[in-house]
Amino acid sequence: MIVPDTLQGAVVLSVIDFFLSIVMIGGIGVVLALLPLLNRLGRLDDTSLRGDH
Amino acid sequence: MLEQFESFFAALAAQTGLAHFWWGNLVMIAVGVTMIWLAVVKKYEPLLLVGIGFSCIVSNVPGSDLILEGGLFHYAYKGVELLILPPLIFFGVGAMTDFGPMIANPKLVLLGAAAHLGIFVALIGAKLIGFTIYEAGAIGIIGGADGPMAIFMAVKLAPHLLPQISVAAYSYMALMPLIQPPVMKLLTSRRERMIRMPKMRQVSRLERIAFPIVIAIIVNLFLPPVAPLITMLMLGNLFREVLVTERLARTAANGVMNVVIVILTVAIGSTMAADKFLTWQTIEVIGLGLIAFVFGTGSGVVGAKIMNLFLKEPINPLLGSAGIASVPIAARVSHVVALQDDPENFLIYHAMGPNLAGVFGTALSGGIMLALLMPS
Repeated sequence: MIVPDTLQGAVVLSVIDFFLSIVMIGGIGVVLALLPLLNRLGRLDDTSLRGDH
Repeated sequence: MLEQFESFFAALAAQTGLAHFWWGNLVMIAVGVTMIWLAVVKKYEPLLLVGIGFSCIVSNVPGSDLILEGGLFHYAYKGVELLILPPLIFFGVGAMTDFGPMIANPKLVLLGAAAHLGIFVALIGAKLIGFTIYEAGAIGIIGGADGPMAIFMAVKLAPHLLPQISVAAYSYMALMPLIQPPVMKLLTSRRERMIRMPKMRQVSRLERIAFPIVIAIIVNLFLPPVAPLITMLMLGNLFREVLVTERLARTAANGVMNVVIVILTVAIGSTMAADKFLTWQTIEVIGLGLIAFVFGTGSGVVGAKIMNLFLKEPINPLLGSAGIASVPIAARVSHVVALQDDPENFLIYHAMGPNLAGVFGTALSGGIMLALLMPS
């Protein structure tokens, strides 16, 4: 365990976790913002994909 | 001879559950009956509460073979303990979920993290009143409003608190339409609640297929502790989005989900034995769970208002509270509260973006917590 089992440890854990999760989800947001670039590769037709397999 | 009959019947009676029945069992049976009543009459989360309520009743009849080692409910609990069931729930959820609203407006995913401040308020609160940091972490995750994630974290960090945490998480999810609106209205003005969101762009099939693959890679790379949950979520979603595996997506969303829900609910209810559940700890966990929800709702709304300081086109702050991971309940609450001030302000589709991001927000918060508390 990196974080001590104390109130101070709980505060440190919370601060690091909260801000890291914002950073990481921000990173996911950046990846999502780049997804539309894939549309330059082409387009998939839903009708041709559908079918029971 | 009479004494022999007496001792015979005394021995028989001692073997029945009645001999070990105490008032705590009666209280928990009443809790189970109440859950079933809420499910059937009030229509609160019937898929969950009927199974939990029934197995809670059975678990509080002393001597029930179902909960003893070798019994069916005992093996159902093994599915939870060995972390088989929560990923399978996510598998079904992924197959049912349209992540389009999240992909279409990436900036709203930040609200999926902003709305999780409640997790840490509850964590610190739990530590303040004497829980260990492991228990506090498991209790804090209730604020993420994600049932499988709450179970996952409880099993990893504090398995003895699983009944309280899972009951608190699922109960508060059902009560969100009561808990959230007062907080949302307190923190927003009528003018802010009436902000209309622009029409969202269409998300292409290629983006929908790439999304689960990319996210699975990212989560496995950066957060292995929660990879089982998110990977199965993405697998289910991939089955849904590729369209060539519709029958697998249907199976995941229906057959698998239904079977897992039955097993999961009886497993949770089977842990609600009176001697373990009727404790001060239970009241503390339930109280901290409520604090987590209230603060999470507030932090999501405030997070949206902070974002508006930097955005040219402001977002409706009611979308912030949808960042709590209870899909689609939190999004629906945002939609309904907006309608109260403007009957033509339909926020549901926009609110699904942060709502879905909240699933990742909870997973990220939990994963970082596990990495710091239980490094491998």
